Amino acid sequence: MDGIHDMGGKQGYGAVDVDETDEPFHHDYEGRMWAISRNVRADDWTIDWWRHVRERIDPVDYLTRPYFDSWMQTSAAAFVLSGVFTLDEITSGHTDKTGAAAEKQSKADAIEANRVSCRDFSEAAAAMPVFRVGDLVKTMAFSSSHHSRLPQYARGKSGTIHAYRGSHLFADAGAKGVHEGQHIYTIGFTARALWGPEASRNDVVYLDLWESYFEKP
Amino acid sequence: MSTFDSDAAAKVHAHLHSHLPSEPALRVKALESLLVERGMISTETIDAWVEAYSEEIGPKRGAQVVARAWLDAGFKARLLKNAAEAIKEFGFEGNATGHLIAVENTDQTHNAVVCTLCSCYPFSILGMSPSWYKSAAYRSRIVREPRKVLAEFGVELPDEIAVKIWDSTAELRYIVIPQQPKGTESWTEDQLAALITRNSMIGTQRELAVS
Repeated sequence: MDGIHDMGGKQGYGAVDVDETDEPFHHDYEGRMWAISRNVRADDWTIDWWRHVRERIDPVDYLTRPYFDSWMQTSAAAFVLSGVFTLDEITSGHTDKTGAAAEKQSKADAIEANRVSCRDFSEAAAAMPVFRVGDLVKTMAFSSSHHSRLPQYARGKSGTIHAYRGSHLFADAGAKGVHEGQHIYTIGFTARALWGPEASRNDVVYLDLWESYFEKP
Repeated sequence: MSTFDSDAAAKVHAHLHSHLPSEPALRVKALESLLVERGMISTETIDAWVEAYSEEIGPKRGAQVVARAWLDAGFKARLLKNAAEAIKEFGFEGNATGHLIAVENTDQTHNAVVCTLCSCYPFSILGMSPSWYKSAAYRSRIVREPRKVLAEFGVELPDEIAVKIWDSTAELRYIVIPQQPKGTESWTEDQLAALITRNSMIGTQRELAVS
């Protein structure tokens, strides 16, 4: 969807805060929300459904509220939509349906759990890949009103296939709970193809795009 | 079961916007309390993950990988061929490194990484991403005016050095291999790793300071 999240190439957002200090978390709640998100989910969530729920945050909130606050609201909303918690439970922070206490991980447990969480998104596609490295491709001019990983700035643009990356779960389908494999390629778009003559003639922007984002040859 | 209904998600957000406390820390605390009561996570596990990502899982991992690549041509070849596999030699694989790609700076090219659509980042090898990486300013501008953004970080590039921006639009994740500073040819892996910064592996730093 053409939501506020699709930020590539939008103008007017100002300077980047290059003086940020280096600590991993600037507030305690950031680390706690990160830890929660790594460990707790509903059975039917997919990574792209979760991303899409975040995309549906009110645009003003998306721009103005802190980053991990948006993760809290995303997980909370996704729990409600999956029937894990009610709105009242989320807003009160309490439930009558209590459960047995969860396991207590140590730091070493957490490091190992992080290690084994490495995920392979490969999923076989129904047909052979259509394109080859070096092919010139053109992306679709339009996208859907649901989740898509074809950003607005790269729609209707021509680029060159830099690499074939195999067949991966298709994000747009995953956001609807559908597991579908599709070929994926890294496409190099020249900066001038994307942005016109203001851009440097030497620069390239690479995107990882699924095969159905391209016009048929 | 979720209906995967986009508009329903927007409605729930509107309700939460009106009914949750405004303070982010209170919001997260409410969610944590609820999850603990339900038995979905323990407070101790949350503490452990915060410690893990504060002390162990951070950019020092990426720095060690880059230093090894500088010293060991065989490892560098493996890293450039398949970074997701190569980092398993260190046990650094994990969250968001299943399809890791390493891209190398040269005298002719400079690489930088972004996620314009959300905030994708190779957490298990670089740790937590900086806030600026998730900011509207960086996400919107680095693909459109990379040289201006890099200049804000102090990276002034002549026209003849090509800038390559990698937008993490799928499940591939990117790590930049910065160039080894001149004069460090006899250094050990640990000495070299100490030079390598998080920003140099995202691509918002080019020259590494040799102290």
